Amino acid sequence: MENRNRENLRELFEKFFDAEQAESCVEDIQKAEQILREHPAPEPDDMLIANIKAEIAMRLQAARAHRFRRIIYGAVGTAAAILLVASVYLQLFQKDAPQNGDYHASLISTAMWEGDDVTVDDEDLAVFTAQIEQIENEVRTLQSGEDTGNGDSTLTELEMELIEINSDFWKG
Amino acid sequence: MAKSNDLARIITGCKGGDANCFSQIVDMYASRCYGYFYRLTGNNDISDELLSELFVKLVEKIGSYKGGSFESWLFKVASNIFHDHLRSKQRRKKLIEVQITEFESGTIEPKQSDGELTDKLQIQLGRMDEDTRELIMLRFYSQLSFKEIAQKRSEPIGTTLAKTHRALKKLRQLMEG
Repeated sequence: MENRNRENLRELFEKFFDAEQAESCVEDIQKAEQILREHPAPEPDDMLIANIKAEIAMRLQAARAHRFRRIIYGAVGTAAAILLVASVYLQLFQKDAPQNGDYHASLISTAMWEGDDVTVDDEDLAVFTAQIEQIENEVRTLQSGEDTGNGDSTLTELEMELIEINSDFWKG
Repeated sequence: MAKSNDLARIITGCKGGDANCFSQIVDMYASRCYGYFYRLTGNNDISDELLSELFVKLVEKIGSYKGGSFESWLFKVASNIFHDHLRSKQRRKKLIEVQITEFESGTIEPKQSDGELTDKLQIQLGRMDEDTRELIMLRFYSQLSFKEIAQKRSEPIGTTLAKTHRALKKLRQLMEG
């Protein structure tokens, strides 16, 4: 067996011993190592080496399967945890949110619902209201006999006008 | 440089779980690691077990190798495995004592798997204490520098130098005596 150590033995021993002693130490070591080289230990059996390699391959395969199982278990665990957290959050938010059917968006503003004077809210409505009031007054005048003209035809015209205005109003 | 680049590439492959790269590591180091275990235990069967354990451990621990001398790291793992073996041996002391008794009574023959010279070396190594024997084997088989061995043993480099010199000188005397 070649000595592959690149250390300089003499230099190393000279750090602790004088030159002569260091020389002697190096010689002792080299001769003893020569004896060891001349008496090699037996080599491992080929069958043993083959068995070791087979054992290593088997263990690597088992380790790979184990690693794969750990990844799968980890992924399943993470997914389960995400689902659990998501369901808990959903339940919490649903409790805070209003139930279906409780909430209605109003098409008419609150001011309009609550206001007594509708003419403020809608100019058209005000115009219609004024016309209706005017016709009502005219009808009342005619009914009371204050009108001097052709009473029957005027009344009929007014009623027709009232009906027309009414229908226009509801048509929008 | 090319060799260290190759080793770095192989280690990267091992970290990625490439069985071929592990096979290359086995081919590169099995012989030296086996020699290390054999010289420490003097037993083929135990060396077989320890070598298998070392490479199985390598598969488990390769992720913890963060650079530096791979050989130093590998032999550190090998040394730990050997010490674990010694501890378990202590636990099985009673059983071993029975086996020693049988061995001494001649019912179990020592394995003669190596040549005569190898046996002589093993016998002489057997006369040394565990720590000295390990120091010699670590130096010889791991090819670590004295600085690396000192770091591994957590002792000053001067102590490692002195101990190694003493141990190898003694081994030489025993072998030549």
